[in-house]
Amino acid sequence: MKHFLLASFLAGAIALPAAAADYSIMAPAAPGGGWDQTARTMQNVLQQEKISNRVQVMNVPGAGGTIGIAQFASQQKGNPNALLVGGYVMVGAILTNKSPVTLKDVTPIARLTGEYEVIVVPSSSDIKSIGDLVAKLKADPGSVSWGGGSAGGTDHIGAGLIAKAAGVDPTKINYIAFSGGGEALAAILGSQVTAGISSYGEFESQIKAGSLRLLAISSAEKIDGIDAPTLKESGLDVVLQNWRMVAAAPGITEEQKKAIATDIEKLAKSGKWQENLKTKGWMDTYLSGAAFDEQLAKDIASTETILKEIGLVK
Amino acid sequence: MSSDTNKSSSERRPDWAALVIAAVLAIVAAVIFVDVSRLTSTTGYSPVGPASVPYWIGFGLIGLAIWTVFAAFRHDFPEREHQEVSPVLWVVGGLLAQMILIRFAGFSIATGLLFGLAARGFGARKLHISIPIGIVICLAIWWLFAGVLQLSLPAGPLENLLQ
Amino acid sequence: MSTFEFLLQGLASAAEPMNLLYALIGVTLGTMVGVLPGIGPATTVALLLPVTYQLDATGSLIMFAGIYYGGMYGGSTTSILLNTPGESASIVTALEGNKMARAGRGGPALATAAIGSFVAGLIATLALAFIAPYIVKLALVFGPREYFALMVLAFVTVSSAFGNSTLRGLTSLFIGLALSLVGIDQLTGQNRLSFGVPDLLDGIEVTTMAVAMFAIGETLFIAAQGAQAPDKVEAIKGSVWMTAKDWARSWKAWLRGTVIGFPIGAMPAGGAEIGTFLSYATEKKLSKHPEEFGNGAIEGVAGPEAANNASAAGTLVPLLTLGLPTSATAAIMLAGFQQYGLQPGPLLFATNPQLVWGLIASLLIANLMLLVLNLPLVGLWVKLLTIPKPWLYAGILVFATLGTIGANPSVFELGMLLVFGLIAYVMRVFDYPIAPVIVGLILGPLAEQQLRRALSISQGDFTVLFTSPIAAVLLFIAAVALILPLVLRMRGRGDVLTQMAASED
Repeated sequence: MKHFLLASFLAGAIALPAAAADYSIMAPAAPGGGWDQTARTMQNVLQQEKISNRVQVMNVPGAGGTIGIAQFASQQKGNPNALLVGGYVMVGAILTNKSPVTLKDVTPIARLTGEYEVIVVPSSSDIKSIGDLVAKLKADPGSVSWGGGSAGGTDHIGAGLIAKAAGVDPTKINYIAFSGGGEALAAILGSQVTAGISSYGEFESQIKAGSLRLLAISSAEKIDGIDAPTLKESGLDVVLQNWRMVAAAPGITEEQKKAIATDIEKLAKSGKWQENLKTKGWMDTYLSGAAFDEQLAKDIASTETILKEIGLVK
Repeated sequence: MSSDTNKSSSERRPDWAALVIAAVLAIVAAVIFVDVSRLTSTTGYSPVGPASVPYWIGFGLIGLAIWTVFAAFRHDFPEREHQEVSPVLWVVGGLLAQMILIRFAGFSIATGLLFGLAARGFGARKLHISIPIGIVICLAIWWLFAGVLQLSLPAGPLENLLQ
Repeated sequence: MSTFEFLLQGLASAAEPMNLLYALIGVTLGTMVGVLPGIGPATTVALLLPVTYQLDATGSLIMFAGIYYGGMYGGSTTSILLNTPGESASIVTALEGNKMARAGRGGPALATAAIGSFVAGLIATLALAFIAPYIVKLALVFGPREYFALMVLAFVTVSSAFGNSTLRGLTSLFIGLALSLVGIDQLTGQNRLSFGVPDLLDGIEVTTMAVAMFAIGETLFIAAQGAQAPDKVEAIKGSVWMTAKDWARSWKAWLRGTVIGFPIGAMPAGGAEIGTFLSYATEKKLSKHPEEFGNGAIEGVAGPEAANNASAAGTLVPLLTLGLPTSATAAIMLAGFQQYGLQPGPLLFATNPQLVWGLIASLLIANLMLLVLNLPLVGLWVKLLTIPKPWLYAGILVFATLGTIGANPSVFELGMLLVFGLIAYVMRVFDYPIAPVIVGLILGPLAEQQLRRALSISQGDFTVLFTSPIAAVLLFIAAVALILPLVLRMRGRGDVLTQMAASED
């Protein structure tokens, strides 16, 4: 009974306004991951900014989001209150898992946040620049072991794109997939692999502490506060962003889509959202409307090409 | 499930249940072999590819299947206790009912039904009492875990009344 | 200020009445969610983290520490009393703990788990405070080949938990290994044994498997005994508290568990469950009462529980010193820290000492709260077992499925629960041990991935597996552990060993 009282005391602290559900956001991942955090941050901000009275988050984990998107597309058809969080990882997962439901079966609304990929080596490494790494890669692709996240994910795609841009056969890259950011980072710090590739946030504190050397970043232009050349500047034509987006259900009307897009724009421009981006270290890469649709189509096409070239998709 | 193998009846008759187990192990191994044979093992620099370990495990299973066959003929398996079927069916029925109903009827009704049917399996015969009790308990659980502690438990008609 | 002063300052602020209350609320909430089979500390923390946002930095850190420890301990209570381990780290606890509870010794089992957790948490948190920088250096030396050697050693030593028949123990292990193949291959992204079913792509969840194998399988098995089985378990035989003998048998196990668990938790790819496996095997080897193992040996609860808690503190070593989240729980904690303006990383101890020591002090306080909350409740918990069988087992099923639904509300997952529950039932009928299935499911993929990573880095050169000194030593110990019993058995007809092996259920 004591538990009960404490819990109800806390229920007051969490404060759930008792109105009808305005939005229900599906995070196609387990609680705690990036998509889940995005969904839950959206939930807080939408409520705090009074854009929506009540927002619920639902987790449907599995297979890089493909299970979530399949369920979302079939169950929420025409529902103007349903939102889905997703991201670039989903693009790759849909291809490698041969998912029958794709991003075409939902209504993408906007890109919210993003992170760029960086290439690092341990500070004790004799590789001093991205040029050194490319030279080593060209001489013997197998001798460069890349540590990063799961096979077919953004990091793997990044390594493949770099090899391709350097004129090296992407199937020849020696990519070592680790199950989590932490494990990959440990292997890089311990000099178990030659180089590491992952989003900047994963390596940030190590770079600042001087235990990792930052070679290059995958953004289109240099970023304030990050002291590294872009891959483009280094002669490798690669721009890659690991973004997160929000989509609406399929089969909604134009007006309904517009209403959702307006709400999401309010969210992305709100002070609370910006505050949250800052504390979480997420970059604001908000993009909506036709510009986003175009970027999405481009990303899907280039991802499919590179995954085929790496040999992960037939 | 279990045939009561009586050791005294005939020492020479093999333990049929154990033979079935051996067959199942061999079938699992066969499924592994068939499934991984389509994998491309060329990716990567490691000589141990995605199909290698499954093959090792498959061979291990076949070895164990053969060993089990010998054990079946030597009656190495311990004597089985008598198993009653009907309580097991009640419990399985409860789990099935929950699985089928959870999407439509929500957490409380589905799980309340599981509660009642499982209790029936263990000897509580009055379903008209135990099922309602189960539903009420589950509704309280739902309120606590989904309402207060933010666990995502499927809501149905009863839960929507509470919201 | 010196390290010690920072810690004292942190303790002083954590011991303020309001903060103590937050710690108590955190521990209570963490325990409530943590007791659900299938919901481990990671999910518990993820779900309850938003609750802490409402408080100031110190208060939220303390409540967070409470949730973390509560979530971890919650699983032990149900494992011991109801044989429903809901997460990989408390499976070993269930092995001996539930046997003790069945024999009317649930009180001492719960007590040794709670006190062992406290002792291990205390020592490991202090170790975190004072020797973290050294431990982390050791952890970074571990690369794929060293991990592979560690997994081989784990396989060899845990085989002592395989029961009295080598054939059936090995069969169980291989069933686990076969199931571990299901899903996307980590290293090449190809599907194995998923037969086009999307729900299988992520493999078989260890927690689902544990709930099915233990909670559902056991319930079915007891149901099948029908009226033959006793209607009630005698909840208390002898003292509800630990006797002098229990203390004497527990304290060394607590310390050994701590020593095993802490460094393994600190390793980036270690994992809490491996520490519990190794601790169980060690206790069984060293015990003066090996015949009790499998029938409720208190060391078998004390050691693994201590190892589990020590490894949780160990996980914080790479997290705080390097910013490395090495487990799901740690990844969520990282997200939590960022919320408090803490950016874990190599500079953390230098740039933000107040918060770090505040966190360590909070962990100590939360640890104490856990003991305060749980010891008085032992008597009450044990009474759970006196509930008449129909209601007790119906309740167990409700809780077991509640955890699974809460973690992933999918019909498919419930179906897996039922199928594996039935398999576990059949295995029980034929006297196959259950634990090796889970061992295979956990260790199989780890060993495979590390082996393939090592060979990939070396571009196919097998000798690297033996050329690292650490890997060579670990493999040597594994070889000795494998061969020595065989030699002994041939020499002395293995009197001791057969006796040891015969004690399993």
